[in-house]
Amino acid sequence: MPPLSSGQQGGEGRWQPLEVPWTHTNIPPQCVQPCCRPLCYEQSEHRLHKSSQMKMEEMSLSGLDNSKLEAIAQEIYADLVEDSCLGFCFEVHRAVKCGYFFLDDTDPESMKDFEIVDQPGLDIFGQVFNQWKSKECVCPNCSRSIAASRFAPHLEKCLGMGRNSSRIANRRIANSNNMNKSESDQEDNDDINDNDWSYGSEKKAKKRKSDKLWYLPFQNPNSPRRSKSLKHKNGFSVCTSASNTLPLLFSSSGELSNSDPFKYNNSTGISYETLGPEELRSLLTTLIFLFQQCGVISEHTKKMCTRSLRCPQHTDEQRRTVRIYFLGSSAVLPEVESSLDNDSFDMTDSQALISRLQWDGSSDLSPSDSGSSKTSENQGWGLGTNSSESRKTKKKKSHLSLVGTASGLGSNKKKKPKPPAPPTPSIYDDIN
Amino acid sequence: MGRAEGNRKVNGTEGERVPPLPTCVKFQLVSKMNKDAQMRAAINQKLIETGERERLKELLRAKLIECGWKDQLKAHCKEVIKEKGLEHVTVDDLVAEITPKGRALVPDSVKKELLQRIRTFLAQHASL
Repeated sequence: MPPLSSGQQGGEGRWQPLEVPWTHTNIPPQCVQPCCRPLCYEQSEHRLHKSSQMKMEEMSLSGLDNSKLEAIAQEIYADLVEDSCLGFCFEVHRAVKCGYFFLDDTDPESMKDFEIVDQPGLDIFGQVFNQWKSKECVCPNCSRSIAASRFAPHLEKCLGMGRNSSRIANRRIANSNNMNKSESDQEDNDDINDNDWSYGSEKKAKKRKSDKLWYLPFQNPNSPRRSKSLKHKNGFSVCTSASNTLPLLFSSSGELSNSDPFKYNNSTGISYETLGPEELRSLLTTLIFLFQQCGVISEHTKKMCTRSLRCPQHTDEQRRTVRIYFLGSSAVLPEVESSLDNDSFDMTDSQALISRLQWDGSSDLSPSDSGSSKTSENQGWGLGTNSSESRKTKKKKSHLSLVGTASGLGSNKKKKPKPPAPPTPSIYDDIN
Repeated sequence: MGRAEGNRKVNGTEGERVPPLPTCVKFQLVSKMNKDAQMRAAINQKLIETGERERLKELLRAKLIECGWKDQLKAHCKEVIKEKGLEHVTVDDLVAEITPKGRALVPDSVKKELLQRIRTFLAQHASL
């Protein structure tokens, strides 16, 4: 139908088709045949306009009739429902003719296969809940079986590719660089990570036990020196100067690294005479460590347990075994009555060791006060504080720092000062 | 709806199909109508104009799907089609079978809500 021009009626020209029921009697005689003469449209529009005006008047009068309104509402509702039904019919018919009406039906066999499972302990697919928790994966790098939930962090460290692993590795490089200064000729002399040793002073505020890592890779005394190759392979270097030494390496970043498992060598003894200053320092550190921490070497990770002497994971027997291994058969497990138990032991042992080694004495260092086992670790780390400073200057002072540490340890134990116990030197006798 | 099915609508009083009138004639009939019819027409017009009819339609459709009406009707359809044979289904057949069942299956809550909305609309717009 051609649209009506609005100009003809002076602005009123809105053409609205009307849903108008009509009967034969209403047809005006002059317009029976189909025609589209403009005149007719004009006429019809005119009449429409009139009728709408009439309607407006009528609506306001008759709109108040509630029953009529209700009837109208019912009609409208019926229309809407019929629309929906028809729409649905068309959809179904189209689906039937296009062939996809029966597509979503499943055959009875599949219905049985995929029936919903409703047994206790299973989900609706019939799978066991939490099955993956107990599953273990084999690490492709170190060929160890790791729990599934721990696999990702393990792999990160095992491969040395995560963010943290590279941090540890860098620190280790720096550590070993400084330790190997006298031995290696090609190492970078980075002093960037000097702060590794200043644990006691810098990290007083961050006394987190979990941050510490003591890592003790043992080396076969008969194998050639592998400090460089180890460094390149694992990102840290092992400090060795002689075959009969006890190489020690520890990370101050406080993160575990599984990159180099221990190799126990029971034939390794400790001969002090052949140890260089670095080895002695690290050895002393180990000893101090053993006096303050659990120290039990886990078979799993080959690392010393860094928990307190009352660590619940390991028994005293285990701790004694470790200490015997390190210190000889007469090693005594430190008392575990309080976290500050090791006062006398520390003082005596370190002092004894020092006296035996005939080092120069100086009291450079005073590590932080120990109020708990955590801080007692800091004292052990206090060793590192001076080491960092000494590294910056000359080698000689490393001796001093060590000694200073030892005496500092003794002097800092304010809570339980005890007289030194006589029998401690025997430990070292046995070792020698 | 009406125009597309102009051929389907049957005159209520006479019960027989009448040929469609030319448009010009239809407009002339407006003035001849009684008040009720006019009112109905006006209300329908208003419904369409404001878009309320579309909204109501959508609302009804959503509610029917929600309450499972569509699935019930689909199951019924499947039976009908299986009876008649997949190849021989026509629209008229489907309409004849399904529409009465569809009307009956509409839940009361849906019907009430829709009627409520229509009444609200009428109350707003009846006075114009």
